[in-house]
Amino acid sequence: MIRIAAVGDLHYGEGSREILRPSLQHLQDRADLLLLAGDLTRCGGPEEVKILADELRGLPIPVVAVLGNHDYHADREAGVRRVLEDAHVQVLEGEAAAIDVDGVRVGIAGTKGFGGGFRGAHGSDFGEPEMKAFVGHTKMLSDRLERALAGLDADLRIALLHYSPIEATLEGERLEIYPFLGSYLLAEAVDNAGADLVLHGHAHHGVEKGRTPSGIPVRNVAQPVIRHAYNVYTLDARRQVLAAAAGGIS
Amino acid sequence: MTEPRRPDYLPEAIREKLIHDPRVAEQDLRVEVREHRVMVGGNVSSPQLKQRITEVAKELLPDYEVVNETTVVPAAEPDGEEPVS
Repeated sequence: MIRIAAVGDLHYGEGSREILRPSLQHLQDRADLLLLAGDLTRCGGPEEVKILADELRGLPIPVVAVLGNHDYHADREAGVRRVLEDAHVQVLEGEAAAIDVDGVRVGIAGTKGFGGGFRGAHGSDFGEPEMKAFVGHTKMLSDRLERALAGLDADLRIALLHYSPIEATLEGERLEIYPFLGSYLLAEAVDNAGADLVLHGHAHHGVEKGRTPSGIPVRNVAQPVIRHAYNVYTLDARRQVLAAAAGGIS
Repeated sequence: MTEPRRPDYLPEAIREKLIHDPRVAEQDLRVEVREHRVMVGGNVSSPQLKQRITEVAKELLPDYEVVNETTVVPAAEPDGEEPVS
């Protein structure tokens, strides 16, 4: 059984010191991996993420992250990424990582993702250059996510996002802002490539649980939603292998 | 801050200022204004951030009473785990 701890939207900045650290002390007894679903900072400052990085430094389990929209606000996302990597946090953007956990290969493909909306009401890259850029950004990141997931050679595959791939985990948010909270193109990428779990943040007023159209579990781990330092999800690697084998036979 | 010409637009102007003030930078706040009272609600990640919201709102509108109704989200360890497969 692989135990995945996950949280997003920590929004570290001045005054955040020690918010998470007390809850991380027993993390290695409860989880094999920690995944961070973006918005790690308040304004995208490397000095903000340094506070979080110092709390994560030395954790005995691997930590993998994607960045969120807040982490881009200061146009210093490269610096944010560097500070995290210096603390041995692996940061993914259109990339994948495979981590061996007791002989089980856990693959994680990550992207910030972006908005656009959901089936039947998604924006199109049509009209003004600004609109083309908006939807084009989502398409590019979704394509990269699909390629990263499909290229993973792993026993378990997890998609780690900031923006939401589905509407179900946005329930509680105002409908008017759905196009700024996620895009169905992210779900389509995951459904095309296949995965065992999708994690995202960004929707602070949403709900935790949903599924992609093909039935892959989705969890919104935004900290204001889970209201804990992290949540833990377990995946049975043997069951996934058996399911894959059965699928192969039929 | 310079108040909008029409009071109908004041809550959104305050909300925008709170989003763009690096001491707050929180996009999920609700702002209401009644008479000379500003009410701010929503979730925040720390008691320090809650305090900053009050300070920044008072700086923006020194002649208004600020009622900070934001909630600090708990961040304790989870009780259990969820099997997803």
